[in-house]
Amino acid sequence: MDTSNPAAFVNAELLRMYVGRRVRAVIQVLRNDGGSIFGKSTDEQELVVKGHPPNPPTTFVEVIGIADSNRSIQAEIWTNFGDNFDVSSYNTICQLANGDFKHLFI
Amino acid sequence: MPVNLTANAIAAINGGDVNAKPLVQVLDIKLIGSSQERYRFLLSDAVATQHAMLATQLNDRVKTGRVRKGSVIQLIEYICSTVQNRKIIVVLNMETIILDCDVIGNPRVSEFDLLPEKPLSSGPQPSVNNSVAGAQNSSRTSYNNVKTSSSLNQGGNIQSFRPTVQPPYQPPPNYKNHGAIMRNEAPARIIPIAALNPYQGRWAIKARVTAKGDLRRYNNARGDGKVFSFDLLDSDGGEIRVTCFNAVVDRFYDTIEVGKVYVISKGSLKPAQKNFNHLKNEWEIFLETTSSVDLCPDEDTSIPKQQFSFRPISEIANAESNSILDIIGVVVTVNPSVPIMRKNGMETQRRILNLKDQSGLTVELTLWGDFCNREGQQLHDMVEAGIFPILAVKAGKVNDFSGKSIGTISATQLFINPDSAEAAGLRNWFDRGGKDTASHSITKEAILGGMKNETRKCLTQIKDEGLGRSDKADWIAVKATVSFIKTDSFCYTACPLMIGDRQCNKKVTKSGNSAWLCDRCNQEFEECDYRYLLQVQIQDYSGMTWVTAFQEAGEEIFGCSAKELYVWKNEMQDDLKYLEVVQNCLFREFIFKLKIKEEIYGDEQKLKITVVKADKLNYSEESRFLFDSISKRHMATY
Repeated sequence: MDTSNPAAFVNAELLRMYVGRRVRAVIQVLRNDGGSIFGKSTDEQELVVKGHPPNPPTTFVEVIGIADSNRSIQAEIWTNFGDNFDVSSYNTICQLANGDFKHLFI
Repeated sequence: MPVNLTANAIAAINGGDVNAKPLVQVLDIKLIGSSQERYRFLLSDAVATQHAMLATQLNDRVKTGRVRKGSVIQLIEYICSTVQNRKIIVVLNMETIILDCDVIGNPRVSEFDLLPEKPLSSGPQPSVNNSVAGAQNSSRTSYNNVKTSSSLNQGGNIQSFRPTVQPPYQPPPNYKNHGAIMRNEAPARIIPIAALNPYQGRWAIKARVTAKGDLRRYNNARGDGKVFSFDLLDSDGGEIRVTCFNAVVDRFYDTIEVGKVYVISKGSLKPAQKNFNHLKNEWEIFLETTSSVDLCPDEDTSIPKQQFSFRPISEIANAESNSILDIIGVVVTVNPSVPIMRKNGMETQRRILNLKDQSGLTVELTLWGDFCNREGQQLHDMVEAGIFPILAVKAGKVNDFSGKSIGTISATQLFINPDSAEAAGLRNWFDRGGKDTASHSITKEAILGGMKNETRKCLTQIKDEGLGRSDKADWIAVKATVSFIKTDSFCYTACPLMIGDRQCNKKVTKSGNSAWLCDRCNQEFEECDYRYLLQVQIQDYSGMTWVTAFQEAGEEIFGCSAKELYVWKNEMQDDLKYLEVVQNCLFREFIFKLKIKEEIYGDEQKLKITVVKADKLNYSEESRFLFDSISKRHMATY
């Protein structure tokens, strides 16, 4: 397992801290363009994820890739997370993973 | 200020005068008695001294300090008996005249009055004999004749004198050889049941029969015999059981009737047998052929018909299993009577009903045998008609099989709509809304796991915290993964017949070629039920343990019924399907609700862990639980 370039758990707010670096996020799919997805982050803000989304995507999708701005991610890996997802728990994880417990993740 | 004590009071009492109501002084008070608290006074009439036992109903006079050493008291009701050649006075009623007073006169106290106390039954101490130089007193007549030769000051050095013996005290000629006292024919005084003890001389009690047991025949090494018992209640609330054997049964069995008042005397007093006798008395009366039992025809209203000490249902939840108690409640449901096979092969009836009281709790009452057809049927008909009667239970037994419930025993008595303050209170409460308040049963509670959220623990905590070692089982929740299941035997053949509202579920045996036989229901049938009985190994981050899982948990773990699994394995030879199901359940995580209890198997202690429930993980809830744990721990480190 290659742990050299870990992806940080982010929501919209935390994304700006990792511009240019590897991130992972769960997005609720709002609009699917074929080449990108407009989605809602777990803290209720809009993000754009570019790449090759799965066909068809489920309501929630996890993306792993490089943050290319504070509002968009260039995704390399896409995973369907189904239609039921506990958004608030994921959001709490993002906060913990970047706050007091950052040393456990990055 | 110095008052005159009644002259020669001690001699008079010893002589048999129990009517004089003398003034005497209490020189000493000692607490004696192993199982029952008894106070022993040393009484003086300014010249002579005598020990006296205080009747237990007066115990709190000493405890509250209303009588102390030095008090001058008037004896109101008292008797004098001879125990092992000593005269002992028993004070049944007294009044304190002067609370504190210097020692009046110059009473002669014998050496062994001042030795450390011993219970009456042990008699004079051997050390006294040794120190009495040259005076061998092998037969003591009345001990108060052992006088001191030197003068004795109360607070002084008492070891220095030697007692000498004087000629035995002769009662004044009036009382010699004739008279009612000597022949012991005078009617005995009526004393409270609470004052009865084996050291009592002659006694008589007046009490009402509250219960009459059945005539029982028995057979032991000495041959055949018969016995019956009845319970008595007197006007002070004292209760005692009376037992008669063999010929005595014939004398009294027909005379004794429940509810009637009798004067009973000349029985012997022995320790009560706590296994059968649940009355609050350490003694039991055994009647002989010489005993007397006289019916009191006039109605004695000072003696209650029954005495109860009702416990509210909320207290039953904490009561000790197998303890005996009285309860009262409104009958809210009555189930039909069902036949039950007992261990000895005899069949009996069982009926379950529910009682509710002002605590808002309900408890199951199980009626056995005749109670089902008598009171049980009556209650059933009343509830069917929409009447919810009050039921008082005397001497019910607490059972902790499933939560707490009450069962009848042979000594139980049931009273429908009794005439008592508690019954009236219950009726009032129920009719004014108690009927509609939510009921919570203390009987079903334990099975459902009590509170919704058991304490979450990890597996090694079971051993570390010594769970299951106390009297009650411990209930916890753990999040763990199934790592292994013993599959050679994962279910048993169970009886599908219904007993009342529950399935029998007893293990059945093969009878003949195709039928199954259930011992409890005593019936045969073609198809049996299959129920899970699993030994499962579960693991979490801390460790692992073996647990036993039954039907419900088994179905949750495997995802199919025991019968289906049995069929796949054994009958359809569909090993693949069977293996697939078994493989699938391995390494699945559950929240297990566990019941942990240490039990004795033969001569070793084994920790028995049972799965009460196996719940699939709800990830949302679990996440929140984990966040909570994290924040708690995190706070702790700061």
